[in-house]
Amino acid sequence: MAATERPLGALMRAALALPILAVPARAGAADVREIGFSLLGYRESHSLMKISEPILWATIPFADTWEIRASGAVDIITGASPAIVTNAGGKPVQTITGASISDRRKTGDLKVSKRLDDWTLSLSRLISKEEDYLSYAWGAEAKVDLANKNTTLVAGYGRSNDRIRSVDDRELDGHRDTKEYLFGVTQVLSPRAVLQSTLTWSRGKGWYNDPYKTTITFYPDSSVPGLSLDLRPHERDMFTWLTRYRLHFPQARATLQADYRYFRDDWGIRAHALELAWSQDLGERWSLRPALRYYTQSAADFYSPLIARPAPALLSSDHRLAAFGGLSPSLRATWRGEAFTLDATLGYYRNARSLKLGGAASPEFETFTATYVLLSIAHEF
Amino acid sequence: MRFAASLAAALALLTGCTTVEPYQRAYLARPDMGFEPPVGIAKALDKTYPAKEASSGVGSVGGGGCGCN
Repeated sequence: MAATERPLGALMRAALALPILAVPARAGAADVREIGFSLLGYRESHSLMKISEPILWATIPFADTWEIRASGAVDIITGASPAIVTNAGGKPVQTITGASISDRRKTGDLKVSKRLDDWTLSLSRLISKEEDYLSYAWGAEAKVDLANKNTTLVAGYGRSNDRIRSVDDRELDGHRDTKEYLFGVTQVLSPRAVLQSTLTWSRGKGWYNDPYKTTITFYPDSSVPGLSLDLRPHERDMFTWLTRYRLHFPQARATLQADYRYFRDDWGIRAHALELAWSQDLGERWSLRPALRYYTQSAADFYSPLIARPAPALLSSDHRLAAFGGLSPSLRATWRGEAFTLDATLGYYRNARSLKLGGAASPEFETFTATYVLLSIAHEF
Repeated sequence: MRFAASLAAALALLTGCTTVEPYQRAYLARPDMGFEPPVGIAKALDKTYPAKEASSGVGSVGGGGCGCN
């Protein structure tokens, strides 16, 4: 809502946001108890994955300076996933094995924050369990408000321990440990503009191979095809720079949201993601948020749909490591009542060779599309 | 890492470049001026894109992985 229309409400919202953050990650986050439920429906083209995900979450401040955030979710996954890349038909294509996937991922996380004057200290814990994947993670963050709460600095450290198994290979027991470091700045630029920039560096060691991916290559001069399992490096360094900008237009009663993320790793992947959204108020209760996300990435150094001779030490034909681009439009409608907020989001996702920016896309990459619907209700009390 | 150092320097220059008083923050406190979508939406989408791309990163630490095959 615009301040000119409901000045008391807007000022109250501002006042609520002040004690904890210079820039609210969520308006009124300082003292609002909130509980919510969301339901995601996700469906890929060509009868690949279908995912349903109910999510329950809550934010509970207590004892003036403490806050707990918690969420729990279950992913109900059915369908199939490309498992073999072969050139049996002449050119390399992804094929799907006859086995269908049916899995449930259960995940829960908890974050506890304590405010000490201008400082906020947080500890978080996350657990994610699947039949063939187990992940434990924790994080610690320190945040400080400076310059009359016009600047916020944040530093964080996190670790995750993942255990990888396979329903096809009961002997597999892979481990991977990842350390993450984060530094971020949030800066108020004007009474209606704010910028946030975050650098994240992570270093992982351990099992990265996908146990379900196989490459089979037929050679014109041999009756014996080559076969390779997914073979990736045992280490991965990743660097991410995420910058987000918000600019409100009071006359239009709308806000421009721009997010840009640059990613690079030591596997040779360079990726850019840009999302632009326009959040438009429609009356006192409703708002619409059309958004468009563009994505482009280069291929991993060891990505190949074919097995060269002699066979390389590292090889993956996983299409997610190929060079391609993606476009994802979405539309979100929001209704805000006195105590309840309802959201409905409809999104579409398309990855294709033709959407790759700069340099050649991987010629064998097959166009992939998906749609999702997300319904959400939140209750403040 | 030169890139990261340059970026950090640029961000440091932003610090203190303006002062917005508390009574001027009505627009900044709007929900759509926040950086994170509502919790349920953020949780639902934080694995959707990374599961189909080679990159990830949502500006936080302590996030766990998933099979995402």
